[in-house]
Amino acid sequence: MIYEKLKDKNFEIVSVAKDTNGVKDAGQWITAAKPTYTELIDEKHLVSKLYNMVNVPTGVWINEQGKIVRPNEVAFADDRFKNFTGLDSAPYLTALSDWVEKGDKSVYEMNEEKLHEKLSVNNPEIILAAAEFGLGEQLYKNGHLTEAIPHFKEAQRLNPKSWNYKRQAYALSDAKRDYGTTFAEEVEKSGGSKVYYAPPDLPGENKPTQNKPEGKKPPQN
Amino acid sequence: MGREARATLIYEDVTTEVNPAQEEAGQLWITTTDLERATRFEVKPQGVCRDQLCFPLPKARTQEFVRKDSGKSWFNMTAFAQLVQQPVAHDAALATWYFGLRADQRQGLASLEAPDFSLPDMDGKMHSLSALRGKKVLLVTWASW
Repeated sequence: MIYEKLKDKNFEIVSVAKDTNGVKDAGQWITAAKPTYTELIDEKHLVSKLYNMVNVPTGVWINEQGKIVRPNEVAFADDRFKNFTGLDSAPYLTALSDWVEKGDKSVYEMNEEKLHEKLSVNNPEIILAAAEFGLGEQLYKNGHLTEAIPHFKEAQRLNPKSWNYKRQAYALSDAKRDYGTTFAEEVEKSGGSKVYYAPPDLPGENKPTQNKPEGKKPPQN
Repeated sequence: MGREARATLIYEDVTTEVNPAQEEAGQLWITTTDLERATRFEVKPQGVCRDQLCFPLPKARTQEFVRKDSGKSWFNMTAFAQLVQQPVAHDAALATWYFGLRADQRQGLASLEAPDFSLPDMDGKMHSLSALRGKKVLLVTWASW
């Protein structure tokens, strides 16, 4: 595990589970992984809202001054989901180790322009989508799934790039009945698995071409 | 203002039941007492304030935000949301209003400062990102779904 290698180098991992049903859904995965780093539960998808994240797993590198230096890309801190994604965590973790060693001398820190692009700062539709999703979640939690669905759909319409809004909503519903689609169908529509799990855009890296998302899927509760 | 109704207001992910005034569709007027209960913001001479944070109301348009009626002081939540560039999602059937992130809460991201948050671990113990200042951090999100 990468954390064991890097933790003595002034480095921490903060892992956040964004699950509307909290420990009930995320707990079994955390218990199984026995993490030694910080593992948090985010029932209200606050971190996605604050950082404009659109998928999982998503990683952000934050330096000692609290500045974002590499955000919002597919990030596997370990191979917990490798069977499912087919994506090897090694290239990303090599880049991460390089940054932990070298800081702003590392080629893996991003320039300001790229950072702004990745963080989709101040897009009004994305901002409103987060509120519609938040409302849908609260209605669902109060036992109003039927009323929540139109708000989840509105969030999906306003921020079509967000897989979070699709997948979390599907997981709380019968997706076929309530959304007329499934996660697998949406992946196909998006251009297939290679588009869905786009590997991180690392300098000098050959992009992996063999992804296998049709593999083992995590259990649904 | 018309008779009072019930509504649910969600502000910074905290849910509060309030008694809004019956108003034009799409507007939410609540008492300044409910405003404080739901948001901890107070209407002061210098603006709408909470701790160090203060949003001045445009002088010529004060009527759009604050009114006195039936011995109570009322505040227009939806107009204020527009003023502070805050998205609002509304469910009419369930009279529920969700207020998203204000412009000031989104500013950090634009300046590439990592937005801070506090979240619980499996045992309910709270952890905040800012407590790790001085270290490099990989923030990684995942989900069971």
